Amino acid sequence: MSSWSAPAAVAVQDRLFRALAVLRGIVLVNAVALDLYRAGNFNHPRAAAACVAAMVLWTGFATWAYADPRRRTFLLLAADLGLALTLLLLTPVVKGADFHATVPGFWVMAALLAWAIRYRWVGGLVAGLLLAGVDLSLRHQVRQSDYGNAFLLVIGGPIVGYMCASLQQMATDREIAERSAAMAAERARLARVVHDGVLQVLALVQRRGRELGGEAAELGRLAGEQERELRALIRAQDAVTTRAADTVDLVTELGKLERSGSVTVSAPADAVELPATTVRELLAATRACLDNVRIHVGEAAPAWVLLQAFPDRVELSVRDDGPGIPAGRLVEAETQGRLGVVQSIRGRIADLGGTAELVTGPHGSEWELVVPRSEGPLS
Amino acid sequence: MNEPDGSAPLRVMVVDDHPLWRDAVERDLTAAGLDVVAVAADGREALARFPAARPDVVVLDLQIPPPDGVQVTAEVVAQAPGVRVLVLSASGEQADVLAAVKAGATGYLVKSASREELLSAVRRVAEGDPVFTPGLAGLVLGEFQRISEAPTPDPGEPRLTDRETEVLKMVAKGMSYRQIAERLVLSHRTVQNHVQNILTKLQMHNRVELTRYAIERGIDGD
Repeated sequence: MSSWSAPAAVAVQDRLFRALAVLRGIVLVNAVALDLYRAGNFNHPRAAAACVAAMVLWTGFATWAYADPRRRTFLLLAADLGLALTLLLLTPVVKGADFHATVPGFWVMAALLAWAIRYRWVGGLVAGLLLAGVDLSLRHQVRQSDYGNAFLLVIGGPIVGYMCASLQQMATDREIAERSAAMAAERARLARVVHDGVLQVLALVQRRGRELGGEAAELGRLAGEQERELRALIRAQDAVTTRAADTVDLVTELGKLERSGSVTVSAPADAVELPATTVRELLAATRACLDNVRIHVGEAAPAWVLLQAFPDRVELSVRDDGPGIPAGRLVEAETQGRLGVVQSIRGRIADLGGTAELVTGPHGSEWELVVPRSEGPLS
Repeated sequence: MNEPDGSAPLRVMVVDDHPLWRDAVERDLTAAGLDVVAVAADGREALARFPAARPDVVVLDLQIPPPDGVQVTAEVVAQAPGVRVLVLSASGEQADVLAAVKAGATGYLVKSASREELLSAVRRVAEGDPVFTPGLAGLVLGEFQRISEAPTPDPGEPRLTDRETEVLKMVAKGMSYRQIAERLVLSHRTVQNHVQNILTKLQMHNRVELTRYAIERGIDGD
């Protein structure tokens, strides 16, 4: 039962008892007004006045008593329900055996709801059965409306109790979720500090290695690789907390293509969320473009990837500084059916409803991939 | 402040919390004939030593104990508008780099850059020439795109001209100033001016944003 004593569960209970205090006042005014209106029905007006006085006093006391969680003991709840039952039992004495309305009337609802809030559906059911049972047992003749009221008490108690339990459960779950989110954020912050230190050292090794040459250069190259991997990991970790399940941050994914010394990736600072399939296809197309650079320009030839995000589309450019593709060679290749890579890039992008243009010249080649962000073709 | 003709050595301050790095950078700069007038291991030290050291260039790591690199940038630029800040970042924390440039840094270099790249960057920054990596250009492009998407655009807000956007895009695609100048049939100097204007507009926008924020929060003195 520890989840019922969790701070979040107690906070829910507090709110519900505050609401119940208001309701208690309303049902009291209603009961007193009805008793005054039917003052002529009482066989013993003094006893009736005592009953009403008891209700008023108890309502005041209960409002105070229920305000503090520490005072919500079984004793208090038993007294609450006990008084309601006693007032019901006194009704035939005060009003005579052939009464219609009981002295407390709907006021008994307050005790029922207190039980439902405190002891959940079981409490609601117990209180409902007791109140309904006593009410019906006192009547010589049970009319349709008496049965209806009793039935509502028995049904309403457990329902309210069950809902209280659910609210408390949800509040507790949310508190746990919030706490673990805060812990994850703190862990990420600590990890960032560690990562930063590691990145610093990797960058230093890489730089010194390059300067020293020889075997140290190889160490430097390895450090550079690890630096890139770690950086991609950090980006992925930053992006993982905020995105919806079926979308992926294209910036993070593109970052993984970065190769120090050859491939540079430029992108906006904020995540660019796109459907997972779109990201997969864009990545495949970008990889194909970069492979092309490696094959046609050189293994370590520099290439630049630029991502721009607009409200309606993303634009991805892959550029190299190579000699370009001589005019006519593409046409020639096309006529010979040797345009595999180019066709596959165009095909992937066309499937996404976008366009892929290749601009080539003596200053290098550049692919411009434009893909709409929402469904449908570009306007 | 500095001597463009090189008659007096450039005064440089190095701020980095990793002693290994601080020493390596200091050694490289000194070996190249630059004058390292101060070093600092965190933001507090940096701000305390800056006024007396009067450096021309601050070579600054962003990930330092508080106040962080972005705050240090804003503070030193406010104290001495002529100082140039070159951000040297290891972690590639995109948002931080952008924030530092918006706060007044004129250049950005990843730590894995070579000694030659570092020296050239320090010299260029000292001359007031922004050092833009393609990566930073991509961030700035994204930032101006974000500004233009604002629901209530302010007519007084700095916008990039079409030519500036074009230049910035080319920088982001890894083209050198020379290549851009050739492609757009401009002089090298004109391209440099465009890049400088882009940076000025970004920093101006940052000030407009900060002022608006201050007024909205009622911090404004008037």
